Amino acid sequence: MSELTTGKFSMAISDLENVQITINNIVGAIEKEADEIDVEMGPTVKPGVSSLRDWDHNILDRYNPVYTPMCDQCCYCTFGPCDLSGNKEGACGINLEGHNAREFMLRVITGAAAHSGHGRHLLHHLIGLYGKDHPLDVGATNIIAPNVQLVTGVSPKTLGDLDSVLSYVEEQITQLLAAVHVGQEGAAIDFESKALHGGMIDHVGMEISDIAQISCLDFPKSDEEAPLADIGMGCLDSSKPTLIVIGHNVAAVTDIIDYMEDKGLNDKIELGGLCCTALDMTRYKTGDRTLPRAKVVGTLAKELKTIRSGIPDVIIVDEQCIRADVLKEASKLMIPVITTNDKVMYGLKDRSNDSIEDILEDLTTGKEKGALMFDYEKLGELAPRLTMMMSEIRKQKGIKRLPTDEELKELADSCVHCLKCEVACPNSLPISEAMTALSEGDLSNFELLHDKCIACGRCEYACPKDIDIVNVIEKSSQRVISEEVGKVRVGRGPISDPEIREEGVNLVLGTTPGIVALVGCSNYPDGTKDLFTIADEMLRRSYIVVVSGCSAMDLGMYKGEDGMTLYEKYPSRFKSGGLLNTGSCVSNAHITGAVIKVASIFAQKNISGNYEEIADYTLNRVGAVGVAWGAYSQKAASIGTGCSRLGIPVILGPHGSKYRRALIAKPYEEEKWKVYDARNGSEMQIPAAPDYLLTTAETVEEMMPMLAKSCIRPSDNNMGRMIKLTHYIELSQKYLGIMPEDWHKFVRTETDLPLAKREKLLKILEKEHGWEIDWKRKKILSGPAMKSDVSAQPTNLKRLCKEA
Amino acid sequence: MVDVIKNTQIHCTYGCKSSKAVQPDVAGKMISKAKRPLFIVGSQILKDEELLKRSIEIAKKADLPVAATGHSMSGLVDQGINAKYINVHALATYLCDPNWTGLDGNGQYDTIVVLGHFKYYIDQVLSGLKSFSKIKSIAIEREYIQNATMSFGNITPAVHIEALDELIENL
Repeated sequence: MSELTTGKFSMAISDLENVQITINNIVGAIEKEADEIDVEMGPTVKPGVSSLRDWDHNILDRYNPVYTPMCDQCCYCTFGPCDLSGNKEGACGINLEGHNAREFMLRVITGAAAHSGHGRHLLHHLIGLYGKDHPLDVGATNIIAPNVQLVTGVSPKTLGDLDSVLSYVEEQITQLLAAVHVGQEGAAIDFESKALHGGMIDHVGMEISDIAQISCLDFPKSDEEAPLADIGMGCLDSSKPTLIVIGHNVAAVTDIIDYMEDKGLNDKIELGGLCCTALDMTRYKTGDRTLPRAKVVGTLAKELKTIRSGIPDVIIVDEQCIRADVLKEASKLMIPVITTNDKVMYGLKDRSNDSIEDILEDLTTGKEKGALMFDYEKLGELAPRLTMMMSEIRKQKGIKRLPTDEELKELADSCVHCLKCEVACPNSLPISEAMTALSEGDLSNFELLHDKCIACGRCEYACPKDIDIVNVIEKSSQRVISEEVGKVRVGRGPISDPEIREEGVNLVLGTTPGIVALVGCSNYPDGTKDLFTIADEMLRRSYIVVVSGCSAMDLGMYKGEDGMTLYEKYPSRFKSGGLLNTGSCVSNAHITGAVIKVASIFAQKNISGNYEEIADYTLNRVGAVGVAWGAYSQKAASIGTGCSRLGIPVILGPHGSKYRRALIAKPYEEEKWKVYDARNGSEMQIPAAPDYLLTTAETVEEMMPMLAKSCIRPSDNNMGRMIKLTHYIELSQKYLGIMPEDWHKFVRTETDLPLAKREKLLKILEKEHGWEIDWKRKKILSGPAMKSDVSAQPTNLKRLCKEA
Repeated sequence: MVDVIKNTQIHCTYGCKSSKAVQPDVAGKMISKAKRPLFIVGSQILKDEELLKRSIEIAKKADLPVAATGHSMSGLVDQGINAKYINVHALATYLCDPNWTGLDGNGQYDTIVVLGHFKYYIDQVLSGLKSFSKIKSIAIEREYIQNATMSFGNITPAVHIEALDELIENL
């Protein structure tokens, strides 16, 4: 038997019949390949559940888990329900802290499983179409998969290489899920470590999903000039037959787009998407910068409204963020629904093996409300044909959509103002007041509510008069909805190596004030405009703003005073003042990927199996902060938790408190704000920033100064610290009306002070904080808690210190 | 006297412990009796002039130190009250730490009063305090806050203002 290594196996077989050769995993292949190409492997190649536990405990010692349970009971097993209130122990011995840590971990691995399950489905599909040897190509980079490489040591080159990495991801998720079983782990902190493990694994799973689709489906590849796509409920031309796709997995849709193109149907059918499938539909075949084949309607918050509008003639769903009642709602308006993924089947019959004509017959006559279809080639033809037919049928039948003007008035008049809808509303929207105004013919209150309403429909269930409140909001807001037309930059994929090479130094020294990543879903506290406000402010201040998923969509809905969306105004380059859309939900991996690449390309660090070292580097040197302002999903929890383990702080909107766990540090615990200087192992004091790894903010106004502070790192040089401090002070004054209480704690020397305010600030330091100032030379003589030393190498890890 | 405890229906009732409904006069007296009170004022006071006015009045009359959360600070500066900005999630974390010395360095608080917050947000934040601290919390919002120790019920904005006036009378 000959010895085989990865990518080095070839043999000529001739004259053999009925011989099947199966090669499974090649044992020791990674290590062997590493030896050959001289890659140094770190201590944690393919880490197991406990391999990075020391690092987790290290960061959790400063960033303490904060539990805010939604329920004080545990009902996981038949011992229960157990009352855990006041941190009591239940029948199995677990206390409220432990149970909440366990629940948080479950949330994280649910999210990770959603992404990697998506990845597995996609990879299986793409390998079927393109083969295991199809090369990976994501643009100008030598590091195709930074997360994969950092965690597993594998530098994947082909689709087949991703297959084995995904098996590792799946094994870890299974091991983590096993820990949820009753009994076993009693220490909250070790559930936390497991949650962090799940978050890290999630970024590996997301990366696999996205680089597979980028490589096969002609998506933009690290493209700074990816085209713009239309977005908004108002961008659909409802006079045309309309096909709407909802979900996250583009696999089912590509055949539809191909069929439409082949048959010249692009101008005849409106193809729109909701949630991340929409973003990935716009990426399909736009690698050459041609115009996207589909329009983006919006986020999950627009799903019910889009269905209730009656505009879709056919709805296709795939997986993840899809309302569970799509079939029920669509059927009321005679919209057939086709499910395409085993995660969502709605009880429909599997028609994968039936003829297209039979299915068309059953759906157009209303004999069946929908169909389950796993054969995507068949779906490619079925969906457009069905859309054309249903459009005619639905027009002829005069399907009743939203209430008429008269009915609207009647509905408003029937409101008894009991406030039950407001109690049920997740955002406590003032519906009762808006009903009164509507009764008097004033639509403006509801027009304002439309954007703040996430169209969940809870109000309708609460209403004792059975008013379809979502319809009332939608009907009242037709004018606003028709104006909902914007532009979103098609997802560009990863950040290229040349971009990192140019910008890395500015990030580590602080002269680019930071990366602000706007990610996650659409459960905002006060409407969609918050995202525009945040990005607009931070871009003006030359932060790099990276976006993905639903946040990338909502950001494109607004125009500035110049009539342009931010995507049209700012370059899509990874540089100071750049606005980059990486793509869909799974493209979040490119954001952590960029941070890992900063360590690799700028700092020349090895990034293979040495996760702890790179996370330590990020935490101490890369000023990046994530914002998931409308996070609702378990996936958002896992993405954020992956950032936590990598040392990137994340702020959630107020609804994020319902994840029930944060990681918050205490700036007043001075002993916690010390790290080592890797040059000699001595201890050095660092500023208390970031003072959380996962937390929430109440309003965007509050978050603005938090963002600036979160980008401060011990490695900032004086110019960098000065820039960051300037933004921190200015944003606090602008949005809170005050100087931040702790600004002086970030000052190491006079050159850290904002130039224009230096003298004034020196006076405050002398007067209010007792610092000694040499006024002749305008120098600080004493006062700062830490020294300014740009060549210091801050680290949390004693083992990385020279003299250790 | 207005009745604010009639409607205490909440949309989720799971959990074993939920707050006691309280009338404004009783709440006022309890605030006055507290040894180390802290008034936690959220950004929603900025949406209603009348609410902002009463927040300031409560702080002044009962001489309460104010933790200004969200961006409520922008409405509280130069109002002659002792207000400091702090993030409410961080504040709740520190409130669970017996070693925290408070916003003024004089020690941990025994009673907190909350006003001007998103219902769902303050409810989550208070759930941590309910489970992991001994601090008493009094919610004087216009919504029933189930994780407080005591709370008003679900009331209209007009009744809420009336209730706050009555509370102020009893300080």
